[in-house]
Amino acid sequence: MAIALIVNGTRREVQAPGDTPLLYVLRADLELSGPQFGCGLSQCGACSVLVDGKEARSCVLPLSTVAGKQITTLEGLPDRWAKQKGLSGAAASQTLHPVQQAWIDEQVPMCGFCQNGMMITAVALLEQTPSPSVEQIKTAYTSGPSPHLCRCGTYSAIVEAVQKASSLMAKAR
Amino acid sequence: MARTTSIHGATLTRRQFVKTGGTLVVGFALVGERLLARAVETATGKNSLDAALSNSWFEIHADNTILMRTGKVDFGQSTAHTAYKQLVAEELNVAYEAITSVVMGDTDRTPDGGFSAGFLEYGGQNIRKAAAYTYQALLDLAATRLRVDKSQLKVENGVVSAGGNRVTYGELVRGQQLKLTIPVQGDLTSMFGLTVTGNPPLKPTSQYTIIGKSFANTVTPSKVTAKEQWVTDVRLPNMLHARVVHPKTLGSTLVSAGTIDKAKFANAQVVVKGNLVGVVAPTEWEAIKASQAVAADTKWTEWKGLPGHTRLHTWLREKADWKSTQVSKSDKNKGDAGAALQSAATTFTASYELPYMKHAPIGPTVAVGDVRPDGTVFVHTHNQNPQALRGQIAMMLGTSVDNVVVRIYSGPGHYGRSNGGNAGAEDEAVILSKAVGRPVRVQWMRPDDLMWSTQSPAAYSNIRIGWDMDGRITAYDAEHYMPAMQDDRLVGAVIAGLPTSPPPAPEPPLPIGSTLNTIQDPWIYTHVANVAEAGYGTFQVGQKESPLAVGLRDHSMRTPGQLQQNYPRELALSEAAARAGIDPIEFRLRQTDDQRLIGVLKAVREASGWQTRTAPSPAASAAGSGAVTGQGVSAMLRSGTYWACVCHVSVVPGTGKVRVDKYTIAVDPGIVVNPLQLKRQIEGGALMGLSHALYEEVTFDEGAVTSRDWRSYPILTMADIPEIKVVILPHPEVGSYGGGSEAANALAVSAIAAAFFDATGKPARRLPLKAEYVQTVLNSGSGTR
Repeated sequence: MAIALIVNGTRREVQAPGDTPLLYVLRADLELSGPQFGCGLSQCGACSVLVDGKEARSCVLPLSTVAGKQITTLEGLPDRWAKQKGLSGAAASQTLHPVQQAWIDEQVPMCGFCQNGMMITAVALLEQTPSPSVEQIKTAYTSGPSPHLCRCGTYSAIVEAVQKASSLMAKAR
Repeated sequence: MARTTSIHGATLTRRQFVKTGGTLVVGFALVGERLLARAVETATGKNSLDAALSNSWFEIHADNTILMRTGKVDFGQSTAHTAYKQLVAEELNVAYEAITSVVMGDTDRTPDGGFSAGFLEYGGQNIRKAAAYTYQALLDLAATRLRVDKSQLKVENGVVSAGGNRVTYGELVRGQQLKLTIPVQGDLTSMFGLTVTGNPPLKPTSQYTIIGKSFANTVTPSKVTAKEQWVTDVRLPNMLHARVVHPKTLGSTLVSAGTIDKAKFANAQVVVKGNLVGVVAPTEWEAIKASQAVAADTKWTEWKGLPGHTRLHTWLREKADWKSTQVSKSDKNKGDAGAALQSAATTFTASYELPYMKHAPIGPTVAVGDVRPDGTVFVHTHNQNPQALRGQIAMMLGTSVDNVVVRIYSGPGHYGRSNGGNAGAEDEAVILSKAVGRPVRVQWMRPDDLMWSTQSPAAYSNIRIGWDMDGRITAYDAEHYMPAMQDDRLVGAVIAGLPTSPPPAPEPPLPIGSTLNTIQDPWIYTHVANVAEAGYGTFQVGQKESPLAVGLRDHSMRTPGQLQQNYPRELALSEAAARAGIDPIEFRLRQTDDQRLIGVLKAVREASGWQTRTAPSPAASAAGSGAVTGQGVSAMLRSGTYWACVCHVSVVPGTGKVRVDKYTIAVDPGIVVNPLQLKRQIEGGALMGLSHALYEEVTFDEGAVTSRDWRSYPILTMADIPEIKVVILPHPEVGSYGGGSEAANALAVSAIAAAFFDATGKPARRLPLKAEYVQTVLNSGSGTR
């Protein structure tokens, strides 16, 4: 069946059974490689996307439930930031989301496989809580359907990067 | 007309000819006739590029930029992307930024093969020497061009000058076809790959300008902006998605495969090969749903050949065959430990146990196999030893390695699991692709990855320590027991009944991959006069009993083998120090004159806020609802690096909850290549070690692994992160690059267990320190199950 999605600000129509988890549609049909398959059980967070601004686990989210909703993937973060800041043209196209910039500045990823969900969660947190405490950061990554898991052990770097992103976003205000 | 020059054992041939541009192509030659035949076989394959080019390390371009190739695969250490570039830039005398691209792992586009581990100690020396040979060749060319003696040349940032004239590397190679042949030896598609030999002049460490500086990982931007090409992204034309219905247990054989209900799954298809049941479909979701339906309808034989995890160590002690495998002795053994124990003033005896642990990559293994009508095979994967995989796939199919190409992409780190060439899904993808005549992508689901991958082997050790009236150890006796650690068989091939490498046995074709339990933890307490360390090995649990020959397959995991031997040693030393009434750091200092060990112990004592006193803590308690706190220490020498670690923990006896509050580590790797990345690796290792100590144990019943998801195999979350302090002690005068990605995890487990003892006064002699076990220890005082 044909289902219309709004992905990274663009309306996209896909042909897939309504019970197909969003992750497979994003990766196969829309060729978005940010969200990763980690468990298929909503237990790790590697597949996270924003649905209407809230973090969601795309590996268990049936396509039919997100029809017409605003979906943002890792690929869409720079545009999301540009729109929020009213940037356009060349400035927008050269801008990374401050969360992505902080992830580079703090050298967060090791293998990097889980970091999609870590960055998506950071964006969701910082849009609601611009200056989170360390406890609020830890809560953001350990509540929800499951804790966000990183096997390489980048949790400390993530905390530092969220704080860095928070200050980058504050400076841009 | 070609001219040939000998350069420190390498040969440079040049032709005055050029088609386009010009590059210095660095090839290699093999030492030894047998090996040469093998190299010709592998290097002239129709699926390789030009033989010389395909085996090249560097291309120096006319614009003075450099492309670098390595057969090692960086899976998160940043080694190939930063440290190797630093090594090469240093030896070539170019700027770090001049190396603009890195080709990594692809078997048809990289030279040396071998496992991706010990990046600096082993692989780094290959590329470093290759760079050093290349530098000498460039000097040779420059001396000719500038008409001066080599000794007159000055080189800076890829520009050679002498007598007022200058020439760039790019200009030196332009207009010429050059081939530098470097001496190497080894077997490309073996576990170890090729090793660059000879002794080209290396830059003295005192002249380093690039090594020792922090550089950001150049692959990071593409990973955080979704531009990286991940193994999960590989899509080939006409490709099918597959899921494998793995056997019901580790010893079940197929009775009958389920069938596809075409009304529900119009495009899906079942493929059966031996005991391997695969389901393929054009879309991933159809493959998943159809495979679930097929799995429900597939019949397997029953099998109960495992002891179950709760009885594992009893079984290992009482039933396992430790006699068929030769006992390994440490090369540091000396004196007569038995006699010295008899005459010691005080002795301490204890036994320690470790569970099976999973590598547990965040993404399950995935690969695309593409068996083409012309007999060539392409495998797209994320793997730590692509050339060994290439050899294994060729063996499985009964074809020449010339016909097999392995392409490497970024993927989830798996910490040693594929350093013998098998990540899990590759062979299954090839088997299914061959069966259906189309490219096939096999993605293991989370339960497949936990139940069917290899794991870090369980172990137990019996330790005896004797000391004199002054607290000086007079005897150390250790017996380490561990099933075989390196099963590199392709599991899909085993299940399908196809050829693959042999399972670990007492007499293997290779030293690695046997049932031998060699001593991996170097003895560092130099004053001890009598040392007796022995390693006892055995077959993998359930493997010989399994009709599938599978059982609990093991594989090296971060700090392999050494974790299993260092944990009992260091924890026993801390317990012995308590028995001797001596502070555990002071106790260790008394046993050694190794200055690098003394250096890291003193540094960690200083940095951690260590209280110099005997354990247990004066406030230790094994009961109550309030938290008690403790400190513990551990030390290790691994891959040329000295380490000492202190953990501070708090324990709530009433609930059995253990928390690590602070992790402090001092590290002396000799030459520090990249302090920023070293620190990041250590922090990551520290957190993995906390995860080992607090949570990780593979559970299994009598037939199958029952750790199937992140609930039944929990790992550390952000809620548990401690304060982490890393003290780096560079000692460039040592002259070697010690490893940095391992050890930090292994040091955590014994330091945490020692801190638990300090906090509670009760020794916990097995891991993990989960609440139920902790409460058993606190209530009974017995540290063993």
